[in-house]
Amino acid sequence: MKVLIVEDNKELASGISDYLNGEKYISELAYDVETAREKLSLFTYDCILLDIMLPDGNGMELLKFIRQENISSGVLIISAKDALDDKVNGLERGADDYVTKPFHLPELHARLRAIYRRKKLDGNNLVVFNEIELNTDTVEAMVNNTLLDVTRKEFDLLLYFVVNKNRVLSRQAIAAHLWGDYTDNLANFDFVYQHVKNLRKKISAAEGVDYIETVYGLGYKFNTSKT
Amino acid sequence: MKLLNKITLWFIGIVFLVTPITMIISRNNIKKHLDQAEIARMTAVNDRVAQQLLAGEKPDRYTHGRPIEITAISGPLPAEKISVKKDNYVAEDLGEKECRITVDSWYQVGTQAYKISSYNYVIKSEEIFRGMLSTVVWKMLLMIFAVSVTARLLSGKIFSPLRRTMKAIHRFDLKQKDKLQLPETSTTEFKELNVFLRKMTDKAMEDYAAVKEFSENASHELQTPLAVIRSKIELLSETNIDSIQAALIGDMQNAIEKLSHINRSLILLTKLENQEFKVSESLKFCRVVKDVIATYEDWITMREIKLSSNLDKNIPLNIHPALAEMLISNLLSNAIRHNRDGGQIKMELTHHHLSISNTGIPPQIPTCELFQRFKKSNQSNDSIGLGLAIVKQICEVNGYDVEYNYTDGWHNIEVYFFKRAVISGDAMSASTAVAV
Repeated sequence: MKVLIVEDNKELASGISDYLNGEKYISELAYDVETAREKLSLFTYDCILLDIMLPDGNGMELLKFIRQENISSGVLIISAKDALDDKVNGLERGADDYVTKPFHLPELHARLRAIYRRKKLDGNNLVVFNEIELNTDTVEAMVNNTLLDVTRKEFDLLLYFVVNKNRVLSRQAIAAHLWGDYTDNLANFDFVYQHVKNLRKKISAAEGVDYIETVYGLGYKFNTSKT
Repeated sequence: MKLLNKITLWFIGIVFLVTPITMIISRNNIKKHLDQAEIARMTAVNDRVAQQLLAGEKPDRYTHGRPIEITAISGPLPAEKISVKKDNYVAEDLGEKECRITVDSWYQVGTQAYKISSYNYVIKSEEIFRGMLSTVVWKMLLMIFAVSVTARLLSGKIFSPLRRTMKAIHRFDLKQKDKLQLPETSTTEFKELNVFLRKMTDKAMEDYAAVKEFSENASHELQTPLAVIRSKIELLSETNIDSIQAALIGDMQNAIEKLSHINRSLILLTKLENQEFKVSESLKFCRVVKDVIATYEDWITMREIKLSSNLDKNIPLNIHPALAEMLISNLLSNAIRHNRDGGQIKMELTHHHLSISNTGIPPQIPTCELFQRFKKSNQSNDSIGLGLAIVKQICEVNGYDVEYNYTDGWHNIEVYFFKRAVISGDAMSASTAVAV
């Protein structure tokens, strides 16, 4: 996947880029509207990460440009402005999704993947890894062709793990993914623990490999090297 | 007591105080002038008699209707040619007090010196006083009447700018962006008051806007550095680290989580204050409640909490969907988190209120204080203490009432979708307080 990161904060842009490169994606950086416009005119990208506040303009302008030029890339807006209006505006103007700073990198990646699935893989709703098969449309999880009896949350969790395989997922990132940011609940670690436990149990019961492992002090990891 | 009544009372009091003094002054003046006129007249009569004596006529005993007494005296004339004597005595035959003025004049007629005396009875001061008293009583009654009536009639006119000013202040809200509108007036004091109020409120609004802008900008500016730290820590946790380092990173992640939560909540609160959530259409509140319950079902099950809900259907409310969800999820997640394992939650939704009750340990501080920012019943627990502040703010923005009570081991939060009678009663007494 080829990604253009339009973000004026260089450290943040490089952080995102590092993470995505780890996924074997090709990422390019643009720190302002002008550069982004140039790159978009010359190359094609699968996805564009777009910051709203840029030194020489607004990300919304770029969004307009993307639409005018009929660029088919998926657009994920990253904004410090957590305004719901921005979110609605952005989505109305052709963005595919929206994350607010500060985001978790695995979250950003999961959303990017989701956009990519919808846009580029022609709505292919199957996410497959070895014996695990996830249907994002019907919210069904299969292991070794047996249907897993998972709750919606467990399905989301498994999808999050599979998309971010071999990554350390902090409990905070998992909690934010499952419950969003808006409650006053700080990461519900017991709850995360319980869900992970249940999920592992269910996968093992279907004779799947227990890929999910605990990373001491940090969280969990979907370790593909396990067999 | 109303200002008008106070002024009237003071005025009447002063009238009561001043009237007796003026009465005494006028009585004395009248008496003095009457006496002087009588003395002058009698002196003139004496002179007239003396002239008659000089002319050699025999004066009558009652010249000009006044009794005259002429006595020839021996010896030289006294230095003072005229002497006036006032006698107050009780006339024995009438049994009444009398006041008599006697004027003695001395004349030299040829070689003989005469003393001519004339006297007359004058009005006693008591009589003057009595005459004045009834007048004064009438005067006072009339004045009280006139003052009270005119005060009432005029106050409507004179105090109307003040009343309007007070109404304007009553309606003034720092959070609204409208400037204070004050009525024009020709009264100097009210003009000064209005100028002062206008200055004060403008200054307050400026300061408020500056403080708000600062906190808004600060919160927004913090988002990017927070994102940088969070992403770098996530990248760091991917590297080859030992367990000690992992624990350190874990602690950092916790702290950043808290920080970003606080920041996000503060931004949300500011937005709520700025009324940035415009409502375009009504929403089915019952559906939102059901969705939120579905989100938390797992958690409820995990903590073995028994949830009993009684939700009415078809409840349209004019509220922003995001706010409705936040409101309910904050309340419900609180009810779960501050519950004990195996506890209970009761939810009730009707057309006019939403009620969430849960079991749990008693609050350590008065329940109404829990709506304040960063106030927590248990300071050490994992929340940041903004959940209820957000609930309160959402309710305020939408004109709802929210109440938190603790009774018999149950925490109960009620959200009333319409202002209740008690509150409108308060508002009424506040508006009557404005009336002068």
